[in-house]
Amino acid sequence: MYLKRWLATGAMFLAGLVLAQGGTDIRLDLKAHRVVTVQQEGKTLERLEAALDVKPGQVIEYQLNAQNTTEKPLRQVALIIPIPANTAYQALSAQPLQLGETLVTAEFSFDGGRTFGRPPLKRKVRVVENGKEVEKEVEVKPEEYTHARWVLPELGAKQTVLLRLRTVVR
Amino acid sequence: MNKLFALLVAALVLFGAVLAQQTPAGTNISNQASASYIDSAGQARTTTSNQVITVVQQVYSFSITPDGTQAAPGQTRNALPGAPVYFSYTVSNTGNGSDTINLTTVQDTGDNFDLSGTAIYLDANCNGTIDPGETTAITSVNLTRQGTAGASACVIVAGTIPASATNGQNGNLNLSGTSAGNTSVTDTNNWARATATTSAALTATKSASPAGSVNPGSNITYTISGSNVGGSAASGVSVSGLSGSGILIRDTIPNGLVVSTLPTGSAGAGTVQFVYSTTGTTWAPLTAGNLPLTGNGTIAIGMFISGTGAFFPQTASYTFSFQATVPAASAAGTTYLNSATVQFNNGTANQTVTSNTTTNTTASRYSVAIGGTGATAVDGADTQTLASAFSGSTVSFNSTLQNTGNASDSFTLSLGTSTLGVCTLFQSDGVTPLAGPVGPLAAGATYTVVVRCAIPASQTTGGSVTLTATSVSNPSGSVATLLDGVDATTLAVTSVVLGYGVDAAHNTNGAAGGESGDPANDSRAGYNPAVNPGGTAQFPFEVSNTGHNPDTYTFSATLPAGWTVAFYPDLNCDGSMDTPTPAPVSGTGLLNNGSTSCYIAVVQVPVGAAPVDATPVTGDNVQFTVTSTTLGSVSDTIRGAVDVNLVAQISLEPPRTGTITTPGTLTYTHTLVNNSNQSGVCSITGNGGSFGWTYQYSLDGSTWAASLSGVSVAANGGSQTLYVRVLTPAGQPIGRTDVNTLTASCTVGSASVSDSVTETTTVVGGDLRLTKTGVSFVGTSSTVRDANAATALPGDVIEYTVVASNIGTGNLTQVVITDPLPSYTNFVSVSATLSGFSGGTVLYSTNGTTWSTTAPTSLSAGSSIYVAVDTNGDNTISSADLMPPSATITIVFRVQVQ
Repeated sequence: MYLKRWLATGAMFLAGLVLAQGGTDIRLDLKAHRVVTVQQEGKTLERLEAALDVKPGQVIEYQLNAQNTTEKPLRQVALIIPIPANTAYQALSAQPLQLGETLVTAEFSFDGGRTFGRPPLKRKVRVVENGKEVEKEVEVKPEEYTHARWVLPELGAKQTVLLRLRTVVR
Repeated sequence: MNKLFALLVAALVLFGAVLAQQTPAGTNISNQASASYIDSAGQARTTTSNQVITVVQQVYSFSITPDGTQAAPGQTRNALPGAPVYFSYTVSNTGNGSDTINLTTVQDTGDNFDLSGTAIYLDANCNGTIDPGETTAITSVNLTRQGTAGASACVIVAGTIPASATNGQNGNLNLSGTSAGNTSVTDTNNWARATATTSAALTATKSASPAGSVNPGSNITYTISGSNVGGSAASGVSVSGLSGSGILIRDTIPNGLVVSTLPTGSAGAGTVQFVYSTTGTTWAPLTAGNLPLTGNGTIAIGMFISGTGAFFPQTASYTFSFQATVPAASAAGTTYLNSATVQFNNGTANQTVTSNTTTNTTASRYSVAIGGTGATAVDGADTQTLASAFSGSTVSFNSTLQNTGNASDSFTLSLGTSTLGVCTLFQSDGVTPLAGPVGPLAAGATYTVVVRCAIPASQTTGGSVTLTATSVSNPSGSVATLLDGVDATTLAVTSVVLGYGVDAAHNTNGAAGGESGDPANDSRAGYNPAVNPGGTAQFPFEVSNTGHNPDTYTFSATLPAGWTVAFYPDLNCDGSMDTPTPAPVSGTGLLNNGSTSCYIAVVQVPVGAAPVDATPVTGDNVQFTVTSTTLGSVSDTIRGAVDVNLVAQISLEPPRTGTITTPGTLTYTHTLVNNSNQSGVCSITGNGGSFGWTYQYSLDGSTWAASLSGVSVAANGGSQTLYVRVLTPAGQPIGRTDVNTLTASCTVGSASVSDSVTETTTVVGGDLRLTKTGVSFVGTSSTVRDANAATALPGDVIEYTVVASNIGTGNLTQVVITDPLPSYTNFVSVSATLSGFSGGTVLYSTNGTTWSTTAPTSLSAGSSIYVAVDTNGDNTISSADLMPPSATITIVFRVQVQ
């Protein structure tokens, strides 16, 4: 009996710790859905299924639910959804976020999240032209993106936003 | 991964076929979102989401080629009735996991005959022939996932045309496959046809050596061989661009492969000629001058066996062989498919027979090159040399790293032992340190590695460091071997020049800079400050960092003993002490290269310093050294000349008074003190007074002379006691007072100084002589400040000794000795001792009338102390109290200066 109560107390203590540490003024909940298209009454419909497994060529939609758990607004909230290895970002699938008056569009990185920019992203390459080495800018294809980011100027108290993007399994 | 994909797409355009790889079955696709934000307290914070994991499932997919229908078979074989025919197929796994493909043969029902004895064989080397060791029939093949070496297999389907078949009849056979992993995945449209013929029938089988995997840069030898298995001799066909008719064996060179040597070949009949076509339709004889030929999908190479009529008899055979080179840059996984055709006339119609297809796949080669700064890296040992650098500086080298392999790879970079100080690896930006391997880099891609070395301050010889790149996928090899997993480049500096230097210079112009060059600016002609002992001399100077690195310098000085120096910043460099006077410094603080800052050295000459006459430049007596804190061997010294003035000052003290009988003798003492900063040599003379009394002088109180000369007195307070003896002749009138003026004339260096003192002597009638001497002490201690009480400071105790002597021959009566308390002093004590008395008691009084045996403990200002000896025991002093001849009373009277 005593032992049980002690255990219960310990568990509560642990739970408290987790809360404090995760602390976390923002709760992030990421979900992966498999996008399935079905034909119904002559129309093509999309259905989202929990993506526990997937096959090459199929599309995964990642949905990120971000909630400000505090009673105060948070500033400069940057929400990042990585594009996992073995998948390719599907162009234009990162939905802009309407936040009050402002429309927050996604920025992308092709260098592992070090730098972000809005498409079209450019990369500098060195090539030899007419025997001379020159630096050229080439456009980075959406399939090469590694991270998507939405920068919210402010996330109000208790406010929740939902972000989504799609990737194709290679 | 992305880059790899891009590369593969590019490679597809350039070279043979490369399939985009599917993600292998079982791969976990995991994802975790993150957020960064600024909380309500203004703190930057981050947080992460849950992790979602999606598992990649297996996709079952395969193909069997060549495809064909009953109406349009993928391959046709002609043979005599009763003869065997062989169909070649390739089974490829296009799924993302391993699979087993079950194979069966299916006979057609709508044809002329069924083939007998059908069986499937594995053609391990894909040469279209059932070789020894390949004679066991199979029913399935095991294939690994697409993109791997074991993803495809060649099989041969064998069957025999019934002996009863007649010329022109045919039978169809299908090779049907079913995925074991997913039986709904099948490939059933692979029909082939066997035709019974009694006319000519040539076969064509093709082999590639090596089969399967090939290294980039290596050769593939293709051999096409066959024979006339028909029932009559074969004739030739006419070929555009070639004369006559003949049998043409043609092979379209696979995309990207290069043929640079002439083919070989032979035939059982006819004349062999090697030919080529750049259009695919028109042919020309092939000579060495036409080579090399690079496959582009159209260019073909061939052997033309020319002959007239039905020249190629039954069972006659041919063989045609050529070498093609796989490009060194061929991407891993590139597949090269090749098949050949043979064109002939079977007596009634032109025929084209297609051989089996060989498949070669480019093996992965992981190799690296590093070196140089160009668009491509230098493979093998190489050196990048910097002609010169300064010690203490950081040199930076850019080196091109290149993936010279044919597959995406990462590379580990390491630095060998450095003789250029501490070297560090940076990313291409030259700022971010390089941690971990670089990559993955696509095949052929380059990356600029930055190495920065901090050359030690003291280094003055060149040095180098080796930068080695190692393939993560193939960490073996040597620098000298090209196209392997290890390469290195040497980064060298030929000459290292000392990067530190300093110039200290006298600031003669009241501004920073503008002084003459070093070392001329190290001394200052015409600048010769002269100071009194205890004074200071200023030397404005400036410090210039003449090196190539910022540096900090410390100041030090070499000075005559006892001298000190302090250094003050001179912010405006005007050479004058700033106002208010800044705090002294011990060095410059950080001084950028090329910068100059100003200071003033203030030399403190000690009190009592001897005179100095120093000549600037040639006789400098002070020097200041500026030394680099980074490198102690870097310093500069400036010199200066400080003169110390001669200060000549002597004193002869104190004046004395005394009484003397007539005749009589009295000795006075004086102290001669030399307060100069140099010793003096003095002459002592007296003027002898006014009455012709005899005055004699001595340095020791025993040897007397009429005057003294050559008396040396040390500098800075050195003293000499002078004794003066006065002898009075008899008959001098009582009360006469004679004054002898004693003069000390001293030569101190180049100066002459003198001082005088007097002895005032009064002739007394009685025989009582009084002498009084004084000694001053430092405070209340027993340390003598002045043996003659010539100087005393407030708080000092002065002890006066008064000696009263009966120098007559009779008794003296009622002797009372009085001494007033000097002004500005406080009474301390008084005591008296007797000698020469028979009995007697010392009595003290402060008014001369009231006597006490006890010495008083206080004495008010302006009062006097009275001392007498009671010899008749009445406790007072009267004429009955006697002082016998030679008796003395010694009184010690102590006072303290207010």
